[in-house]
Amino acid sequence: MKIYVYQVIVSAVALAMISQGVKNYVRGKSGQTLLKLGTRIVVWGGMMLIAIFPQATNILAGLIGLQGNINAVILSGFLLIFLMIFKLLSAIERLEQNISELTRKESLKDLDK
Amino acid sequence: MEEKSKKIIIVIPAYNEEKIIQNVIMEIKSAGYENLVVVDDGSTDQTQKIAQKTGIKTFRHKINRGKGAATKTGIEAAKLLGADVIVTIDGDGQHDPQDIRNLTQPILAGNCDVVLGSRLRNPQGMPWYKIIQNKIGNIFTWYLFGLWVTDSQSGFRAYSRRAAEVINTHGDRYEYDSEVLREIYIYKLKFKEVPIQVRYTEYSMGKTEKQGFLNGVKTVYKMVWKLIH
Repeated sequence: MKIYVYQVIVSAVALAMISQGVKNYVRGKSGQTLLKLGTRIVVWGGMMLIAIFPQATNILAGLIGLQGNINAVILSGFLLIFLMIFKLLSAIERLEQNISELTRKESLKDLDK
Repeated sequence: MEEKSKKIIIVIPAYNEEKIIQNVIMEIKSAGYENLVVVDDGSTDQTQKIAQKTGIKTFRHKINRGKGAATKTGIEAAKLLGADVIVTIDGDGQHDPQDIRNLTQPILAGNCDVVLGSRLRNPQGMPWYKIIQNKIGNIFTWYLFGLWVTDSQSGFRAYSRRAAEVINTHGDRYEYDSEVLREIYIYKLKFKEVPIQVRYTEYSMGKTEKQGFLNGVKTVYKMVWKLIH
């Protein structure tokens, strides 16, 4: 089986995201649940599956009428953008939570004394 | 008798409620509850000043963080003030303070950790589209968080001290209410639903920050996002 660069990249990224999720879950990081971990594995695992076995998408491609090599380019671009948005939204979420926590501490500072 | 010996604190998250906050506070006081905490969630009007004038404890978010964040701040404040039972009630006057007793009773009797006020157990006067919205919210909450209840978006709830210590939410907006249910499920807290009266007034229905269709979609998006990120 011939291995392409994009398959390696997508698999590496997906494995990194899955391992990060497993690490967070095992360490009991705040907000981590088994369902969250499962969803992460399904989403990133699914991407890896499609990258490694692109023929699996033939059924879908046939159904929606898109076929050809251009699919690989579109898929790679889509994955890259997806990854960027995913990381960006995660960062925003963390910032939002930090802002809320700071706002809370500030509003309760008189009680804490 | 039990109610007298236990400290019950009522938490009212409020955002731009200057027109009604005084009535809400006075009505709760008339129902026999003196320990009230108002959390002004960065209002741009006089909500905090008006609440302060009634002599109750008020806290203010310098910036608006959402109903969930304000409720959590109120619960934290109540814990610091030594509450045995914490009741959360909306600041727009839609909840009837006479129902507080029904919410606190199972906790005071030691039968429950959390009591959820359910509008759907007594839907009289509730607009049909609110009922549908709520049922959709219930299905999403059950599917994503694993707990089936008849009103997943109700803000009228009571918590035992233990439940307030255990429950740890991260949602700042309306997804907060569903996250509480996730925590109940995870920590296997004993809960009960009791019917509550809801007064849908022109004022409460007119507020754009309320859980409308678009806010409902955002809430579902936030719930899904919190599961995958």
